[in-house]
Amino acid sequence: MKPLRLICLMLVAGSLLFLSSCKKDDPQPENIPEAITTATFTFTPTTGAPVIVTAIDSDGDGPKDRVLSGPINLVKNMPYTLTITLINELAKPTDPEFNVTEEVEEEGDEHMFFFAWTNNAFFNPTGNGNVDNRSDAVNYGDKDANNLPLGLQTTWTTIDISSSGTFTVKLKHQPGLKSATTTSSDGESDLDVTFNLNVN
Amino acid sequence: MKHIIIILLFFKCTSLWGQPCEYTFSGRVMDERGEPLAGATVSFGKGQRGEIADENGFFQFNKLCSGKYQIEVRFVGFKKISSSVKISANKVWNVTLQSDSTALNEVVISEKHIDLAATSTYSSISGKALEETLGKSLGESLREIPGVNTIQTGPAIFKPVIHGVHSQRVLILNNGIRQEGQNWGAEHAPEVDQFIASNIIVIKDAAAIKYGADALGGVVLVNPAKLPTEAGLGGQIHVIGATNNGSGVLSGYLEGGLKKLPGFGWRAQGTIKKAGDSRAANYVLSNTGFEEQNFSIATAYHTEKKGIDIFYSHFNTSIGILRGTAVATAEDLANALEREPPQYTTAFTYEIKQPRQSVQHDLLKVNAHLAEGKNEFRLQYGFQNNRRREFDFRLGAALSDIPALGFQLQTHTLDADWELSHSAKFQSCWGVNILYQSNSKIDGTQTIPFIPNFEHYTAGVFAVEKLTLNDWVVELGLRYDFKKYDVIGFNFQNRLYRSNIDFQNFSGTFSAKRKIRNSASLTTSLSNAWRPPNMAELYSLGTHQSAAAIEYGLLLDEKTSEVKEYAASGAKVEKAFKWVVGYKIEKQKFTTELTGYINYIFDFIYLRPRGVTEGLRGIFPYFRYTQTDASFVGLDLFSVYQLNRQLVLTGKASLLRATDETQNDYLIFIPSNRADVGLRYHSKPIKKFSWNAETKIRWVGMQNRAPQVITPREIIEAQKQGIDIIAQRPGNFDFAAAPNNYFLLSLGLGATWKLEKSKWDIRLSCDNLTNEAYREYTNRLRYFADDVGRNITLGIHFSF
Repeated sequence: MKPLRLICLMLVAGSLLFLSSCKKDDPQPENIPEAITTATFTFTPTTGAPVIVTAIDSDGDGPKDRVLSGPINLVKNMPYTLTITLINELAKPTDPEFNVTEEVEEEGDEHMFFFAWTNNAFFNPTGNGNVDNRSDAVNYGDKDANNLPLGLQTTWTTIDISSSGTFTVKLKHQPGLKSATTTSSDGESDLDVTFNLNVN
Repeated sequence: MKHIIIILLFFKCTSLWGQPCEYTFSGRVMDERGEPLAGATVSFGKGQRGEIADENGFFQFNKLCSGKYQIEVRFVGFKKISSSVKISANKVWNVTLQSDSTALNEVVISEKHIDLAATSTYSSISGKALEETLGKSLGESLREIPGVNTIQTGPAIFKPVIHGVHSQRVLILNNGIRQEGQNWGAEHAPEVDQFIASNIIVIKDAAAIKYGADALGGVVLVNPAKLPTEAGLGGQIHVIGATNNGSGVLSGYLEGGLKKLPGFGWRAQGTIKKAGDSRAANYVLSNTGFEEQNFSIATAYHTEKKGIDIFYSHFNTSIGILRGTAVATAEDLANALEREPPQYTTAFTYEIKQPRQSVQHDLLKVNAHLAEGKNEFRLQYGFQNNRRREFDFRLGAALSDIPALGFQLQTHTLDADWELSHSAKFQSCWGVNILYQSNSKIDGTQTIPFIPNFEHYTAGVFAVEKLTLNDWVVELGLRYDFKKYDVIGFNFQNRLYRSNIDFQNFSGTFSAKRKIRNSASLTTSLSNAWRPPNMAELYSLGTHQSAAAIEYGLLLDEKTSEVKEYAASGAKVEKAFKWVVGYKIEKQKFTTELTGYINYIFDFIYLRPRGVTEGLRGIFPYFRYTQTDASFVGLDLFSVYQLNRQLVLTGKASLLRATDETQNDYLIFIPSNRADVGLRYHSKPIKKFSWNAETKIRWVGMQNRAPQVITPREIIEAQKQGIDIIAQRPGNFDFAAAPNNYFLLSLGLGATWKLEKSKWDIRLSCDNLTNEAYREYTNRLRYFADDVGRNITLGIHFSF
């Protein structure tokens, strides 16, 4: 083939390729399963109505700051069970991704909640929580597959005097790391919220 | 393509027939940089006698009778030189061979001229120097060139930085085609197999107006060797092993021609690399292994006046990113910064887990050319398919196995140009470049795509005129480009948006070179270039691999985060004005090249820290793409001194000052000043054997011109008191202070056996001999871990 003819042929082929790039269909949106948009903390006392606080970040990693309700108003000298539920409203309620609590439960051996509070708000556990020191007392009500604490459910008894301070919950993702000694600074943060806490 | 450069030699002599045959003819073969070309073939007198240049590039013929002889000097990847020499006394002849490849020729206004892009400022690595970098990535090899650095993400991801700027401001021409990949992130390295190259050239001024208007920093040309045109089979095999990361590299090619079809040639090439975790001086850098499998095939048919080239290459890599860099919130980052060794440091392994990248890049190129008298026409079509997937640790094991980011980018390019030699002193080149590009998200990532789907059209026309006047060569270039983006993406609410933007602009270059006597030259060039904001700069939303920050594009509204119209956003194109002055002295024993530059970039786009946002996971610093005026002023030095026939001293230095002129502040990740000194010894060849030894010291200064430091801990503490410290302390900042200066010592030992038709090279080298624990300012890993420790490499190279 003569090069000139070849060049012409290439020009034609090239321009055809350019023209053939016609309009495509719109891309399909993705499901966004990972984000936690609402975390609900339910303190259920042995007697009386449960105390519920929420942390909401409706746009996930979007620019809007989270909104925290609260304060957590607890009664003096009362045993409570704290239950944490996590949902992702970027997914449809019918999608399995909607219920992040279940995900965390299933992957209990990679997740752990840590707690911190001020002003000795609790009679049991005592102290200030296990965020600063893993061996400090927290009463975990659930365990993972390796018999290590998880923290979706915890038990608390408030002190018998009035107190006001803060209550912090951290959820750490510790894949391949979680052990009896891993701390709140190991792994990556999935949840980190601080509420005001009043005991009256 | 077969132009032979005739070097005319003028020397006074009288034939003295009848004299005894006692003359010697000796000399030295070098490349354009003055680096010796060991192994170049010098044939003397109609192929009667042949010599191969030694390690220093020297050759010698003894016992010559007086008379006129034909000489030919040849070396793979370089243009052959033929000449006739009259011998009537002992004679010394030094030869400079010019790199030869299609891509290179296209930069040269006329390949008939000895000077490559006569008036441009360029540096190259080829021959022995390139061979010694084999096994390293393209970016890492480029660091051998003064003025070129890298932005690194760990031991395997190197992104070239020319004169302080990088990413889409540096154009890479892989085999003559603009390399088009996801090039917006600092962790996106060029998808090029370094083993394809027979020489790598870096053009530091805007001489590449033929390829686009957007090379604000410079151009990297990766040129393969010319294909054979005669029958026969040749090839190379490289086997390289290194101790630090337990890596093994196997690469090679076979090439040949056909007896029945002179002018036809082919080459098949392939590379396999596998590396485990790298080791810092005191610990393993867990999950920094990588793998690469590449191959290419090339075929060409050339006659005196016309030719066609077809090239296809496939590049496939999987790269691990240091596990400890996978941080999300400011608290994770604060913990990581305070911890050494990094979190998740485990025993050495070859296994690559999350976070990791998987990238495939295919390139198809068809190139045809035709020479008709004073005219030469070229037409080139390129197709590239780039597929990038990034895997991160995600909530749920099922999600961790699907990429958190995935894009497929397809690019068609069509380049046509016409060169016209009006006379020996005046040449023109006119041409057209067309590009069509389409980017689509890979479905199923279950994340909001970081950049949108888009279609990108570019059409450009250019004209370059070159005039030679006595000692002057003057070149003038003008270019016009039109670009169009058609964008469909998803906003922070995962809702579809559309966006269309047009750009158009002119760019130009003026450069001149003056020969000063025979041994020196002065080059100066003034050029402007422009670049529209890329997709990440316009639309990015969220976090990406090992960024530990949220990034927002120029078009995202500061309050609502909705995507704005381009016209209403205040965003502008980047415009650069660069002035480069080069001075070069070339003497028998001494070569020095000094390059000074000023690059002033208006509306320079960069990520500026803007504040702190709180999510349920914690506190995130967020960055917005912002525009400012920035200046880059620097000096590159390259110097070679031949102490005697065996010893060579080399020195290199790069100095750079970058300034954010609008804010009167410093910019982040600007390479600090650095210098290299090397001493090399070449043995005299003992029959077919020769050896060499080399030592190098590299000094890298601390970056004193680094922005203020605000640690993640400070951000968290301030936030607890309700203070947004980033908003309160405006200006650029870094999460950690610039690391200290460091020295690195390296040693190398090499040996060469030249047999009848083949050659063996063995090289043993040790980098970071003292196992220094250091951190490099431009390596993003510096927040988390030390850089790579001692590494011993053994390479065996066989060519036939």
